[in-house]
Amino acid sequence: MNLFQPFTIPYMQRALVEVLVLGALAGAVGVLVVLRRLAFVGDALTHTVFPGVVIAHLLGRSLLAGALAFGVLTAVLLTTLGSHRRVGDDAALAILLTSFFSLGVVLISRTPGFTADLTVFLFGRVLAIDRTDLVQTLAVAAVAAITLAALHKELVLRAFDPQAAAAMGYRTRRLDLALNLLIALVVVAAVEAVGTVLVIALMVVPAAAARLLTDRVAAMTALASLLGAAGGWLGLAVSYEVSVDHDLRLAAGATIVIVLVGLFLLATAVAPLRRRLAARSQVAAAEALR
Amino acid sequence: MPAEGVRGAQVAGGDSPPVDADPVLELRAATVAYERDPVVEGVDGEVAAGQSVALIGPNGAGKSTLIRAVLGLVPLTSGSIRVLGRAPQAARRQVAYVPQADTLDAEFPVSALQVVLMGRYPRIGWVRRPGAADRQAAAAALAQVGLAERASARFGTLSGGQRQRVLLARAIAQEPRLLLLDEPFNGVDALSQDLLLAAMARLRSAGTAVVMATHDLGLAHLACDEVCLLNRHQIGFGPIGTTLTPELLGATYGGHALQLRGDGVIVARP
Repeated sequence: MNLFQPFTIPYMQRALVEVLVLGALAGAVGVLVVLRRLAFVGDALTHTVFPGVVIAHLLGRSLLAGALAFGVLTAVLLTTLGSHRRVGDDAALAILLTSFFSLGVVLISRTPGFTADLTVFLFGRVLAIDRTDLVQTLAVAAVAAITLAALHKELVLRAFDPQAAAAMGYRTRRLDLALNLLIALVVVAAVEAVGTVLVIALMVVPAAAARLLTDRVAAMTALASLLGAAGGWLGLAVSYEVSVDHDLRLAAGATIVIVLVGLFLLATAVAPLRRRLAARSQVAAAEALR
Repeated sequence: MPAEGVRGAQVAGGDSPPVDADPVLELRAATVAYERDPVVEGVDGEVAAGQSVALIGPNGAGKSTLIRAVLGLVPLTSGSIRVLGRAPQAARRQVAYVPQADTLDAEFPVSALQVVLMGRYPRIGWVRRPGAADRQAAAAALAQVGLAERASARFGTLSGGQRQRVLLARAIAQEPRLLLLDEPFNGVDALSQDLLLAAMARLRSAGTAVVMATHDLGLAHLACDEVCLLNRHQIGFGPIGTTLTPELLGATYGGHALQLRGDGVIVARP
């Protein structure tokens, strides 16, 4: 398989830049998603941006702008509803997910000929991304990356010890809103490339794999970004090779997810080995101290 | 701040109360209620710099709620709480809180040193990363609780007592003037207990006021000079020797108290 040759073609180049950026960003944000056990929030967001996409399509506007509007709205509603003592996070999620998705379905059912776009929404079209799409994705990704870098240590503190974070004077509800907005930005940025069904994999799978391989948040973040980007690259190359050379059409987005899951399985195989090595070095360190 | 050093030296010099008259913590008929149901009411008392108070009472007595109120995390329905003369929310930078170690995720990928470093975050501020001075302060705090050589161990791989010491080190790294602890000796081995007590004594001699929720009367004797007896309302507040009486303990625990010897008091629960 050739990892470089397919990317001499312009549309493959754009797809590569898109998946490298998305893979790295989703991996980094995914670390917090995994540590806070918020995978379901990401999953809900993939559904709640749907009416935004439909409305944007009806108005002939950018799908990303529509998704962004509804992503932000979801993050805000989720944080306020979820912090209500008698509602709770899980019920708030379920209410938002179903109501927003229904709204999207109602709107779409009144629009003839949307099926093609619906497929794009569900599964993405990374190979059909044009310059404008790419620039939009990069802009959203840049905002998310800067926000993540600025709030990272506080978000980790809140994930580890919410009581102490509150006692130190951090407004944990605002930190929660910030993380929900970050997740929304990743979902929005990735919707056109891999579709709503698969974007959650981009966030959770590399972070879960990295979790198996390290005991440090910083290393986990670097590793998750690396795995996310590598999975994107490898997935594109595989889907190109199989589609062009073997005439089997493999959807690029789905192939990326399959490659990511493959990397995760590899990590589960390597993890016990690493633990054994770590235990051995700890014993050695203890003996050295004696 | 040199002023605190002077005050600390005076406290360390003897048992006499510090010259600085302003209390670190001042409670005036403090009452917290959830939806009109009082959780803890009528708490009155003062804690001076270098002083240590044990909050004693059965489960559900309102000890944790009172600590949360001192942190400004739950509003008072009546009365007042002043920390260093300010509202609790305005004084958080000067206050450190030590939760029970077993409430934290043991699988979380952080090292002992990183946990301690978290105590520096408020003074580091947003965006910026911990600097060399912060790392030094964190390492020194970890050394104070006897865990310098476990700095790079994952928090969750440490024993319960060691984890509790890491959390106290985090509080030390905050350089607080008021330290709040929630059941710091729960499930803690003897060595960790001694190291926790020693570190707390050092903080006190440097002028930090300590408030500690506990159900262990023996440890309250070792760690504190004052006691606040709670069971939904304040039953007593004063010097430990005169306040931990069988009558007041009986009122606190509902008649299941039993005194052994002159100093140590053991509580029998139903």
